[in-house]
Amino acid sequence: MAVTRIEVTPKQGEGMRDVRGDVVRRQLMADHNIKVEEVRSINGFLIKSNISKPEIAERVNDLFSDPIIEDVLTDTLFLSSPEHFPTTPDAAITIGFKPGVTDNPGSAAFDGFKTIFPHHDHQIDASISTYHTYVFFGLPVGVTTEWLASTLHNNLIQRAVTADETGCLNAQWPAIDYPEKPPQTLTPPQRMDLEISDEELLSLSETGLLALNLEEMQTIQSHYRDEAIHQSRAAVGIVTDAPTDVELECLAQTWSEHCKHKIFASKIHHIDPETGEDSFIDSIFKTHIMKPTHDMQKEVDWLLSVFHDNSGVIAWNDDWSVCMKAETHNSPSALDPYGGAMTGIVGVNRDILGTGLGARPIANTDVFCFGPPNWEGELPDNLFHPSRVFRGVHAGVRVGGNESGIPTVNGAIVFDDRYIGKPLVYCGTVGIMPRKLPDGRESHIKTPTAGDIVYMVGGRVGYDGIHGATFSSLELTEESPSSAVQIGDPITQKKMLDMVLEARDAGLISCITDNGAGGLSSSIGEMATYTDGCEIDLAKVPLKQPGLSAWEILVSESQERMTIAVKPEDCAAFDAMAQLHEVEATPVATFTNTGMFHVKYEDETVAYLSIEFLHDGVPQLQLESEWHTPTPELFTPETISLPEKAGHSNLLLRMLAQPNIASKESWVRQYDHEVIAQTVIKPFVGVERDGPGDAGVIAPIHGDPHGLVISCGIAPRYSDLDAGAMAAASIDEAVRNAVCAGINVDKMAGLDNFCWPDSIESVKTPDGKFKLAQLVRANRELERVCRAYRLPCVSGKDSMKNDYGTGEKKISIPPTLLYSVFGDQPDVRFTATSDFKNPGEKVYLVGVSKEELGASEISFMLRESGEANGIGGQVPLLPNPEINITTYRALSTAIQSGLVRTAHDCSEGGVAVAAAEMCIGGRVGADIDIDGTGDASVWARLWGESLGRFLVGVQPENEADFIKWMAGHPITILGTVTDSENLTISDGHEILIDIKTNSMVEAWQKTLDMTGGVA
Amino acid sequence: MAAPKVAVLFGFGINCDHETAAVFNLVGGDAERVHVNNFVSGNRSLDDFEILAVPGGFSFGDHLGSGRLMGNRMRFALREQLHAFVAAGKPIIGICNGFQVLVKTGLLPGPNAQTPLPDFVQRASLTLNDSGRYEDRWVTLEFDAESPCIWTKGIERIDCPVRHGEGKFVMPSTTDFDALAANNQLTVRYVDPSTPVGKGMSDQPLPFPLSPNGSMRNIAGICDATGLVFGLMPHPEAVYAKWLHPDHTRNTAPGPLTSEALGEWEGEGLQIFRNAVEYVLGNR
Repeated sequence: MAVTRIEVTPKQGEGMRDVRGDVVRRQLMADHNIKVEEVRSINGFLIKSNISKPEIAERVNDLFSDPIIEDVLTDTLFLSSPEHFPTTPDAAITIGFKPGVTDNPGSAAFDGFKTIFPHHDHQIDASISTYHTYVFFGLPVGVTTEWLASTLHNNLIQRAVTADETGCLNAQWPAIDYPEKPPQTLTPPQRMDLEISDEELLSLSETGLLALNLEEMQTIQSHYRDEAIHQSRAAVGIVTDAPTDVELECLAQTWSEHCKHKIFASKIHHIDPETGEDSFIDSIFKTHIMKPTHDMQKEVDWLLSVFHDNSGVIAWNDDWSVCMKAETHNSPSALDPYGGAMTGIVGVNRDILGTGLGARPIANTDVFCFGPPNWEGELPDNLFHPSRVFRGVHAGVRVGGNESGIPTVNGAIVFDDRYIGKPLVYCGTVGIMPRKLPDGRESHIKTPTAGDIVYMVGGRVGYDGIHGATFSSLELTEESPSSAVQIGDPITQKKMLDMVLEARDAGLISCITDNGAGGLSSSIGEMATYTDGCEIDLAKVPLKQPGLSAWEILVSESQERMTIAVKPEDCAAFDAMAQLHEVEATPVATFTNTGMFHVKYEDETVAYLSIEFLHDGVPQLQLESEWHTPTPELFTPETISLPEKAGHSNLLLRMLAQPNIASKESWVRQYDHEVIAQTVIKPFVGVERDGPGDAGVIAPIHGDPHGLVISCGIAPRYSDLDAGAMAAASIDEAVRNAVCAGINVDKMAGLDNFCWPDSIESVKTPDGKFKLAQLVRANRELERVCRAYRLPCVSGKDSMKNDYGTGEKKISIPPTLLYSVFGDQPDVRFTATSDFKNPGEKVYLVGVSKEELGASEISFMLRESGEANGIGGQVPLLPNPEINITTYRALSTAIQSGLVRTAHDCSEGGVAVAAAEMCIGGRVGADIDIDGTGDASVWARLWGESLGRFLVGVQPENEADFIKWMAGHPITILGTVTDSENLTISDGHEILIDIKTNSMVEAWQKTLDMTGGVA
Repeated sequence: MAAPKVAVLFGFGINCDHETAAVFNLVGGDAERVHVNNFVSGNRSLDDFEILAVPGGFSFGDHLGSGRLMGNRMRFALREQLHAFVAAGKPIIGICNGFQVLVKTGLLPGPNAQTPLPDFVQRASLTLNDSGRYEDRWVTLEFDAESPCIWTKGIERIDCPVRHGEGKFVMPSTTDFDALAANNQLTVRYVDPSTPVGKGMSDQPLPFPLSPNGSMRNIAGICDATGLVFGLMPHPEAVYAKWLHPDHTRNTAPGPLTSEALGEWEGEGLQIFRNAVEYVLGNR
């Protein structure tokens, strides 16, 4: 078939701009300080179709170009047209996709193609591939075309064709061709001989990307030695004494760390020489997370579903329940920041859609951990610069969330050098569902029965996403296959989401789950445990391209798919609904009660595993853990000499500009945080809508002020001193943030998302015992604090291999817990924000400042600058959480009663930074006196990050009531909001800080504004 | 009197359908979310409805230009139905992506005052914001009191969020703008909130972020010559209640003192939808 090339470029003229070109120009300036005079852009389409070139050419303005704003050429490169490009450029770079990579604009163009050629109806044979060309004018000397191209594309998934200065002069324009997929060869199912040596077993696991250890391989080996197994296999005509490749892959997926959480489920021998402890923990998860939550479930009536489903569900009111889930997508985001992060967010959306009988995603949260965006140090091989990771991840999450119509209401961005080795990309989603469906079923309970038909709904299965989860352990090369990473397709998913929720309300769904890691193998395999069996026909699975082998179809992690069970009598209605929404829905399996996971390809059985062995056969890991307290060099601020007057003032400006504290507004504003018309407290608050929000608050039922709070806490650097303290601080921060919005502390739930470096002792990880001990301490603190706060962990996830490289060059991330909280807010008309409201407002500290400067933001800042020697010292602790929660309850109810409209969490940067942020939000000054806030040193009272603290603003007329309300809780008057232009902070008579609010605004906003402006 | 039936389109990436339906219901409408394909296939007919809303979202991912592919579906498959709808004097609103769809179908700005009914010729466009960024931020809007637009009667100035990456309104020449201006079809514009109410509108492009996108003549929304078809980039449905306004916790969120819908908590955006419902009731 002929390929027609169509190119489109923005019209030049009064008031018109080439915005895509401008964005490239501004980013080169913002990220690399390279000033290019002009960048122009061209969008290209390569149409491979049976529709003739003249027919297509006639309709270009109906589809490919907008005649008001764009020029278009068919089968001619714009660069060769002097009318459109009269000046010879310095470089031209064309970027297209590699074969097989998801091309969303191409798919959309194909959809539009069918609309404009309706008379061809079903006979259209077309596929469309897209590309971009960037044309550079006034390129500074020394900037090579090769380097420019490398910054503009990711060679894992894209191709670049370029013309450098000479090429441009000789009119050798880059003409990219249609990305033809090489033909794939189907491999019939193989017998995998496991009667081999241990060494060979391990090597099979390694080369096959199975990620199974020796004991696991041996367990599989002995399974196939069982005579009874042989007989049952013979009966279905599958190889009897060895697994097929399909079975081995299926077991590897189901038994993977990702699916089975083997470290959290392991038996740990824990030693603490400092206390003399020598004990065993039989599963951290069961002991420290599941047990406390189940204990709490006995005491409340609102914990509807915990742990076993795709997300945890709580009753929000009589009519509605809400659920939440957070995931990480770290390795894919390291490989392709954009695609990896996008599949992260749209993937966790599907976890919500797959909860119960289907919940509607209504809010997203995004928390990222990156290397410093201004990193100038050495960059290890094959790693992207942190600023590029930042941009790509942000763009992926932005597109995924915005196009799905789900507001991003809360998040955080954390920076530390060690995240250069592996960025952390946490994506969370909140969902809502009616407590009862029209047919009377409770929507949080799945109701499958044997005989139900199992559909695969949404996208098709392709090579993308085969072994996605395990691929990251291999070194990246130029030849890395496109299957390693995927790009999400939010619109395919949105169509599916619309359809699924309609099907749910029509009572057509008996069971639903997401297709994520492990693909159909996991999704159908997990659902089959409900009825105790299933029979799958892989030949029925719709494919993106022919030639996939059976095992590939079974384990492919291709995106945008749900697995849904439908009663046979409902299938016709379900099919009709799919057709209306233009969603592909294909019956691929049937639930049975045979006890078997039975997979066929047409009539041939290719896998025959018992549900029991598949899900419970994996042997428990036995791991060693040994704690020793880290002893980094101490942070001793009293030895730092500050200039008399401006000392702490300058420090405050520097602190406000620290990436961990600085405003993330330019990034966050690019997320839609208000779609669904429910967001009461937005990510940025205050008169200029640019002060920090503590928690997201939504009122999801239109017309009803009943609210829901969503917040998070993260404090990874505390792990440098004690990962237990890190966990406690994360949980406390999440709860404090929620309290600032007036959460009902008696109806809140949490999510624990652990990201850890490899914690299994080995040659690669000689300090595995210590890292595991960090995990033990973190989980012990998690249990202690959550029990005290009556805060059930209803869902969670762990990512346990966050390291880069080996030996000297190994980078391990700091052990990181993201703790998310979601819970009831009784009435959003009574909530609070961090901005000071008006002069005269009284400012209070709730809580006490202690001598806790260890691992504080100020210690890290001054160590980095060389002014301090270390970050060691007392890390913030939470000795009496059961007392803290009573204070939180008092403050939260004060907000719910309307007594308090101003509250801000006091964390990184302590009282000084919190007060500064509140002045910024209100564009006012304040007189603050930290005398009386505790017995600690000036540094600790000013910059310390003691837990359990808030800054609160109270109107003078409410002050007496506030004091009465908070009786018995630690509160200290700090001062008053003023109409001056300055924040002054003193310690009694000594003025420590005196800065103009406008200066603070500037310092706080400039660091991370990497937009390059609008000009 | 029976509540006016409102068709709120959804499908293919439209995503403000729930709240758009909800705000019509708050002001006495009877809104139903209807999948686009139900109209295309003939399962449902636009004749059965009295108001049509094309909500915001990312129809078809905004690939090939915002609103274009959805606009094509409507232009090619719903042409007669849409023409009849407007000819019957029934109001249509397009918000954000819905505005982009109406512009690309040619329903906005439409032909001219002499022959005002739709001819489905595209005369304007909404293109990438000058900033190059999709942004969610609050803006201040002022309305032309003389506009024939039935949706905006009596509304002077409101605060609203914009949430778009392609909201810069452009037309090929100044005479195109002058013609619309002469007919008061430049219904709503971005203004500087520090100007006195009624004096904010200006043809000179305001600086970012007062104008979030660099729109020519600061245009935020326009109507057709009949005044029935209205489109705007900002989201009035997203400020149906005062608790959605960013100044809510400062106790300064603007809006009516009292309303049947939400008591003292009605937000400034709701009146637009009430206007259409009342227009239909008044013209039955």
